[in-house]
Amino acid sequence: MTSLISPATSNRAAKVMLWVSASIAILTLMFILGYIVVQGLPVLTLSFLLESPRLSGAEGGILPAIVGTFCLMLVTLLSAVPIGIGAAIYLAEYAHEGAVTRIISFGVECLAGIPSIVIGLFGYAFLAIYLGFGFSILSGGLALMFMVLPWVVRVSEESLKAVPGGLREASLALGATKWQTVSRVVLPSAVPGITTGVILGIGKAIGETAVIMFTAGSSLLMPTSLFDPVRALPYHLYILASEGISDKMAYGSSVVLLVMVLAINLAAVAIQRHYGRHHVRN
Amino acid sequence: MSEIEIESRNLDLWYGSAQALKNITMAMPEKKVTAIIGPSGCGKSTFLRCINRMNDLVKDCRITGELLFEGTDVYGNSVDAVELRKKIGMVFQKPNPFPMSIYDNVAYGPRVHGLRNREELDRIVEESLKASALWNEVGDIPDRSAIDLSGGQQQRLCIARTLAVKPKVILFDEPCSALDPISTAKIEDLINTLKHDYTIVIVTHNMQQAARVSDHTAFFLLGELIEFGKTKQIFELPEKKSTEDYITGRFG
Repeated sequence: MTSLISPATSNRAAKVMLWVSASIAILTLMFILGYIVVQGLPVLTLSFLLESPRLSGAEGGILPAIVGTFCLMLVTLLSAVPIGIGAAIYLAEYAHEGAVTRIISFGVECLAGIPSIVIGLFGYAFLAIYLGFGFSILSGGLALMFMVLPWVVRVSEESLKAVPGGLREASLALGATKWQTVSRVVLPSAVPGITTGVILGIGKAIGETAVIMFTAGSSLLMPTSLFDPVRALPYHLYILASEGISDKMAYGSSVVLLVMVLAINLAAVAIQRHYGRHHVRN
Repeated sequence: MSEIEIESRNLDLWYGSAQALKNITMAMPEKKVTAIIGPSGCGKSTFLRCINRMNDLVKDCRITGELLFEGTDVYGNSVDAVELRKKIGMVFQKPNPFPMSIYDNVAYGPRVHGLRNREELDRIVEESLKASALWNEVGDIPDRSAIDLSGGQQQRLCIARTLAVKPKVILFDEPCSALDPISTAKIEDLINTLKHDYTIVIVTHNMQQAARVSDHTAFFLLGELIEFGKTKQIFELPEKKSTEDYITGRFG
């Protein structure tokens, strides 16, 4: 039995449908971005970026929230990157495949599956109360680290495993030790992939609200130490909108948040370019 | 006959329960080229990788017998594989330059072994690139990525990288199998020059190559050393029937 539709027709139909799908995806994104930017642009002034909020954020700026977000990101990065990459190196280069690696991998998977609100609750109970860090940058940053860690570990492990075995052999055959091989050849080759993993994680963390509302607090004051509470941008945005304080200010905060995410992604591209210059081909 | 540099005595090797090398006994003389030929899966590369203990990396690999380098069993308790590999370099089948600059590739070994002096490094890099016949092509572009070189140039860079560590022995594991005929000829010329200063063991599945570059040839079949002797004798008057069958192209 022959098909009722000729191959040429189905070919054309497929092309049109794929084009429509792609257009919807891109237009949705453009619409969201456009809407937020148009709504937020009127409040985006220098004083909005550089002043502290007044009247719970209905007036003034969002500087403490911007600073707070940066501080949280920094704590998350500085804790998640060394621990995550260390775990990934152990799993990819040192551990023999077996019960132990399976248990660690399973644990990492489980950690990735925990809803962020649960991580927030755990962060509150363990970091804020039990360890006595209180509502603070430290509690919030470490709680975000719990959330980001699985991504960093998994993507780093994959990137390390993707480094060709021939490079390891070449290094070892020159009389390099295992650690010299890992640190000088394997790890630099995996940096582009690892960077992507870290950026994905941080991108998730920067927009996260549930984890930080129980751990970082909601103070609108400028933080002066790791133990001060802060209100991160997404949480500020949430409060502005949910408590009906100011939609305008909420959109302004959204634009700033988007720009920060964009900046992080651009940084990732720059790092990938830098380390990727010897790669690809062959 | 010159002095023996590497000697294997009753060497057996198992991967798990599969025996890959059976009772290999042969001696490789100093500053000569020894070729190991044989069909795929005959154990020739496995044997080569015993010499610099690259098989240590393979899980479930077990070795008995002796493998002497300068009279010491490389599998003895006092031997450190990392130290051993400084003296026994290796060039692999597929060119595997590091994703770094040409200079950093050659300087990698000396740096790993603690050399920091820039002038000294410059000198070693220049010497090594000259000795691997690559200086004329890349001497003025040391900062270019090694990945941009052609396959043949990459393989000569890998040789330069090995020379920079100043080994006594260089093991070649089918170094030309991924290269075109012109690049292959350059590598063979290079091996003919290098044998004045280094002991060379080369695994090849190209019999003409073995005939062209080697002084001695070993023929492996199914994990056993069938015949070992002067290359001329092996190719012109083989003692064993299976050697003759192989070099005349009747199988393999």
